[in-house]
Amino acid sequence: MSFSVYWLQSGGCGGDTMALLSASSPSLLDLLSALDIEVLWHPSLSNLSAGEHQALLDAIISGRRPLDVLVVEGAVIRGPAGTGLFDRWNGRPKKDLIAELAHRAGFVVAAGTCASFGGLGVGAEIEATGLQFKGHEPGGFLGSGFRSARGLPVLNLSGCPVHAEVVLGALSALAEGVRLDLDGLNRPLEWFGTLVHQGCSRNEYHEFRVEEQDFGGRGCLFFHMGCHGPLAYGPCNKLLWSKGTSKPRVGVPCFGCTEPDFPQRSPFFVTPNVEGIPLNLPPGVRRAHYMVYKGMAAVAAPERLTERQNRV
Amino acid sequence: MGERRILDIPLNRAEGDLEIRVEVADGVVVDAWSAGTMYRGIENLLIDRGALDGLVITPRVCGICSTTHLTAAVRALDDASGAKIPGDAVRLRNVALMAEHIQSDIRQAVLMYMVDFAVSAYRAHPMFDEAVARYTPLRGSSCIETLQQTKKLLDIIGLIGGQWPHSSYMVPGGVVHAPDRIGLMRCRQIVRDFRSWYEQKVLGCSVERWREVGTAAGLDAWLEENPSQRDSEVGFFLRFARQAGLTGLGRGHGNFLSFGALDLPADTRVKAPSATLIAAGFIQNGALAPFDQGEVTEHIASSWFEGYEGGLHPFEGLTRPYASGPDGGRYSWAKAPRYRGLPAETGPLAEFLMAGNPLFSDLVGRGGPDAVIRELARLVRPASLMDALDTWLEELLQAETVELYNPPGEITDGRGAGLTQAARGALGHWITLSGGRIERYQIITPTAWNASPRDSAGIRGPWEEALLGTPIADPDNPVAVGHVIRSFDPCLVCSVHAVRGGQSLGRATLQV
Repeated sequence: MSFSVYWLQSGGCGGDTMALLSASSPSLLDLLSALDIEVLWHPSLSNLSAGEHQALLDAIISGRRPLDVLVVEGAVIRGPAGTGLFDRWNGRPKKDLIAELAHRAGFVVAAGTCASFGGLGVGAEIEATGLQFKGHEPGGFLGSGFRSARGLPVLNLSGCPVHAEVVLGALSALAEGVRLDLDGLNRPLEWFGTLVHQGCSRNEYHEFRVEEQDFGGRGCLFFHMGCHGPLAYGPCNKLLWSKGTSKPRVGVPCFGCTEPDFPQRSPFFVTPNVEGIPLNLPPGVRRAHYMVYKGMAAVAAPERLTERQNRV
Repeated sequence: MGERRILDIPLNRAEGDLEIRVEVADGVVVDAWSAGTMYRGIENLLIDRGALDGLVITPRVCGICSTTHLTAAVRALDDASGAKIPGDAVRLRNVALMAEHIQSDIRQAVLMYMVDFAVSAYRAHPMFDEAVARYTPLRGSSCIETLQQTKKLLDIIGLIGGQWPHSSYMVPGGVVHAPDRIGLMRCRQIVRDFRSWYEQKVLGCSVERWREVGTAAGLDAWLEENPSQRDSEVGFFLRFARQAGLTGLGRGHGNFLSFGALDLPADTRVKAPSATLIAAGFIQNGALAPFDQGEVTEHIASSWFEGYEGGLHPFEGLTRPYASGPDGGRYSWAKAPRYRGLPAETGPLAEFLMAGNPLFSDLVGRGGPDAVIRELARLVRPASLMDALDTWLEELLQAETVELYNPPGEITDGRGAGLTQAARGALGHWITLSGGRIERYQIITPTAWNASPRDSAGIRGPWEEALLGTPIADPDNPVAVGHVIRSFDPCLVCSVHAVRGGQSLGRATLQV
């Protein structure tokens, strides 16, 4: 029997689906066919009539139709005042449908930062939450004790959008019974065990503290331009986008969109700092050591970097 | 008079879901209500954030037109700061925006519109078997090819902006990056490859041959000219849709709106009658008037918002959600945008009419717009963008040095309007800044125009009006309603304040 997937969209923009359609190696369609994955429903792609869709849902929720994976894209909207009326489905809050399906699915996958941690709407009037976390706080919509039918917590595939290869890789692992080790936020370490900074083509500028103060240069964006690359865990510079690029590589700072506090309150494109050193340092780094290291690094910087001769 | 009944029709493949309520008498729609049933509150969460934060937050309004939201956000900041954009930066903004439009046009037509030709309601249609072979989700030959080809175009945005969707590579004063010459050559090659597929499979002829089609009669002749054109996506679409009786469905008010898009850089070889490649304007009763953003207002009389009567210009706009439920006259999370107090449809057809395109002027002049003409405009719009796309890439490639960015200085106070065209029509962002913070942010999306509920005067929105007269053959699968709505390329996630309609799958209720 095929490995079945039901894809549900809630409080989001559909961007995780759009990123997924761009998967190239393997492509989405190749992977579905190779692993015999059947997409029972995807809101952007399916052409079931309303009645056929309802029959499918009835079958899943009553347990007559087994469901291997529920993918949720978008935050759970609980506002106003916990009612969920800001996102209705069939005349009732969509969050109720999410709960019903989550309790039937073999595995539950959160695709993107909104579904994982709540994203844009956390602390806002829509009272958004992720499936099992609200920001850093465990619990979220389903509660920290939630385990899907096959015994796993919600698999958080964060990113805004989540990289296509992460979604396809995770679905492959679930379909083939391959274990995924998770971090403390229930993100697979395969993709969230590296900082975005690792693999950035501006790393040499970073090493020698050649830092940009405005847009358009080749230097590092960490000290002044608000880049979260050395702070955020994610695969952008490891998997890369469009077969070889990423935002930091082209000079757009990393916004830390894989992290539970995205979008941070502090203005984008600006690094909060203390005496010219970023307020937030890479995980585990001591400020005193970092200041000495960066002072020496700036002195050691070769001219080819201070003159921005090396391409990125 | 037979029975009158109310049908609640959920629609997916609307980039977010949408709930349409229609009143049916004698098998025909006699009234309609369009409800966006989700509120995401994006405008309000921008308030009090940093001046540039719209560049990061607003692309996330919509996963399918995120580059367009970035464009509107940056233009609002350009406007507020008086930034001067170098010509090459204009080119790099335009190229990405065009790539986003072209892929969206084809994906929408094949994956979201024509996929409905492969549903059981058309079992008796003589072209049904071929429709199933082409358009079955994830398996049909056209679906597979469309996904394969369109994602290549998105690599152009990746090469310029680092990723798609949700990059923030446009900044006030220009862009942060230009691909090197090898990267630009890759972009050109992607455009060439795509054009070759588009000509072979979507048009069935060269772009030049297509442009010769200038009248309704010319279109009929083109369709019968050869098997390649008959069997192309455009040819198949026309033949299937005509045979299915879609001609004349979904007429609407006949008001059209475009904000204009794609500024012409100084000294470009791309020529257009106005300062933008896609012309701005407003058409009522067939008469074209210049566009003035001061004439835009939003009403909330039928929307779940409170705080004002009548219409407000977006510089004065308010977004105060008011979840009153189905009581009273409120039924949507979308506001009702109006131009000179009138509803207006927006999208590729409106753009063609602003430009005085002979084919679409003739088609609309004969019987008004309909669900076939609107979708045809979308399928063939890439043909009118590809030459400029290639020319701008070539001009970038030939530049001695590519000028990216004129620093506008710190932007602390002021206000600006950022207007552009998304694939599905007019998009505007209006920002007010105070002390380096966002004081007010209002967004009006194309789908807010097209999916608008009734305004303060009780006037229906464009597709509510367009649904009147639509036949409902099978109340359990009212496929014609879907065609009418999808001819507008609905993007409900984008529909601002309202996003992603809830899917009402409730049974049709009978009202006597």
